[in-house]
Amino acid sequence: MSTPDEKKLLTGFKHNSLFWTDLLYLMSNRQQSIAATGPFRKFAINVKNISTETIEMNEDLAEFNKRLGTYYKQLSDTWNEAQGEYTRKVPELPNDVEHIEASKRIWIDIFENYFTRLFDSVEFAENFGKLVTSELEIAKHWNNITSTLLESANMPTKKEMDEVYKELHSLRKRVAKLEKIANKEVQENDK
Amino acid sequence: MTNEIRVDPKVIAEFIKLNANIFEAPNFAKSLEEVDLETTPYEVVYSEGKVRLLHFVPQVQRQLKTPLVIAYALVNRFHILDIHPRKSWVRNLLNQGIDVYLIDWGTPTQINRHEGFDDYVNGYMDNCVDYVLNESQSKRVSLQGYCTGGTLSTVYAALHTNKVQTLTLTAPIIDGRRDSTVVSNLAKHLDVDKLIDTLGNMPPEMMYYVFSILKPFEQGFEKYLNFFRNIHDKDYVDNFLRVEKWVSDTPPIPGELYRQWIKDVYQENLLINNNMYVAGKQVSLKNITMPLLTQVAVGDHLVSPECSMPIHYAVSSEDKTLKIYPTGHVGMIASSFSQKKVLPEFAQWLAQRS
Repeated sequence: MSTPDEKKLLTGFKHNSLFWTDLLYLMSNRQQSIAATGPFRKFAINVKNISTETIEMNEDLAEFNKRLGTYYKQLSDTWNEAQGEYTRKVPELPNDVEHIEASKRIWIDIFENYFTRLFDSVEFAENFGKLVTSELEIAKHWNNITSTLLESANMPTKKEMDEVYKELHSLRKRVAKLEKIANKEVQENDK
Repeated sequence: MTNEIRVDPKVIAEFIKLNANIFEAPNFAKSLEEVDLETTPYEVVYSEGKVRLLHFVPQVQRQLKTPLVIAYALVNRFHILDIHPRKSWVRNLLNQGIDVYLIDWGTPTQINRHEGFDDYVNGYMDNCVDYVLNESQSKRVSLQGYCTGGTLSTVYAALHTNKVQTLTLTAPIIDGRRDSTVVSNLAKHLDVDKLIDTLGNMPPEMMYYVFSILKPFEQGFEKYLNFFRNIHDKDYVDNFLRVEKWVSDTPPIPGELYRQWIKDVYQENLLINNNMYVAGKQVSLKNITMPLLTQVAVGDHLVSPECSMPIHYAVSSEDKTLKIYPTGHVGMIASSFSQKKVLPEFAQWLAQRS
C-alpha cells in the first residue's frame, strides 16, 4: 500500500485532473456538438472516459512500481548473497579445465539454492501475488480504454464478446443435455 | 610488479571449441518449426470443440481387453508422452499389447473461458470414455491421469465410478496444502478471481514464468551450454530440440477451470477433504473403489510427492498400490528410466486387473 502522504498526493492529483477534464468537457461540449457530426460525435462523447481511465491508472501505477521495485530488490539481494557465498567458497579464479568445471558446478548449485529458497518464501509469493494484482488493475483500465475506442467505432467490446461466449457456453451445455436425452430415448425405442 | 594471468591452454582450446560449436550449430540442428513431435501414428477418433480423442495404432496384437484412456495434463501438450520413439510412454504401452487412447485438450482460446471442471469431467472426458466404451465394446476403461490430468481423472473416477475399471494417477495434484513446490507457493498467493475476471483464461506467458523459476540456473544456463557442447551428437540434439519444442508450447488454461483448480485444490484444499463440488455434486474420494495405482517421483519439483500420496489413503479401494520412483516429474514418463522401470511395472499392474 502507498504511504498516507503518497495517497494524499495521488488523491489531489486525481481530483484536479478529473475536475479539469469535466470542466473542459462541459465547456467544449456545445462546440464539439456542432463541429463533430455523425459517428465521430460518439468518439467526442467517449473521450472523457479515456481521460478518466488514464487518470485512475496513475494510482495503480504507483502500487505497481512499488511492487516491481520490491520484486527486483528481492532478486538482486538474493543474487548478491549467492555471489558472496560463491566468492567465499571459490576465492581464487580457477585457471584449468577441471577447476573451471568444478567451480561452475558450485556456482550453479549455490545460485540454484539461494533462488529456490527465495521463490519458496512467503515474502516473495506475497509480493509477487500483489505485483500481479496491480498489473491486472492496470490491464483493467487498458481494457476499459480499448472498449471505449471499440464502442466509438461501433465495434463489439470485450464485455459484449464475453456475453456471446457465455451464451454459447450455456447453449452448448443445453444442446449436449438434449442430445443425451434424445439418444437415450432412441436406444430405449430400439429395445 | 607484474600482473600475470596464467591460463591453462586447454581452457583456451575448450573456449575456441565451444565458440566453433555455437557458430556451426545451425548446420547440425533443426529449427523448432522443423521438429516433428508426433512419433507414433494415431487416428483422431472423436473431437469436440478443441478437444481430440486420439487412438494410437496398435503395434502388436492386443493383449488386454480393457482399453486404456490417458487424460493428459492441462499444462503444455500431450507430446511429452510420445516425445521420442525410444522414450515414448504411449509406444511402450502399445508394444505391451495395450489399446491406448489419449485425450488431447488442444489449445483453448477466449471462447473457452467459461469452461470449468463440469465441462472437462462430465463433458469432454465422459464423452471420450463413452466413445471408447462404445467402440471397444468394453464395460469399463482403464483410466490414467498425468499431473493435472491426474486431478481431472480423480474427479472423474469419483463421479463416474461405474465406467472405470482401474485408475492410475501419475504425479497427480491432490493435496495442495502439503505441496511444497514453488508452483504451489505462488498459487496460494494468487488473486485468481482478479486474474480470470480480467484476462479470461490463464495466459501461457504466466504459466511459462512459473516454469522459468524452477531451477533457473540449471535450466537457463547449464542446459544450453551442454547443448552447444554436444552439437555433433545427433541423438542428443534431436532429443534436446524435441523437449524444448514441447516446453515452449504452453496453451492457455480455460478461466473457470483454472479458477476452481487453484481455489479448490491449492488455496482451500477442498479435493482431499471431500468438499469439492462439480456441477452441484460432491466429489467424495471415498467413492473411488476400483483398483488404484499411484505413481510419484521423489525428485518432482512441480508436484511434490507429499501432494500426490494422500490419494492413496483417501480412497475406499481395497486394491491399491503406491509406487515411489527415484526420478523427476518428466523423468517418470519420458526417460530411459521410465522405459526400464515405470512402464513395465505399470503394464504388469494393468494386466493383472484388466
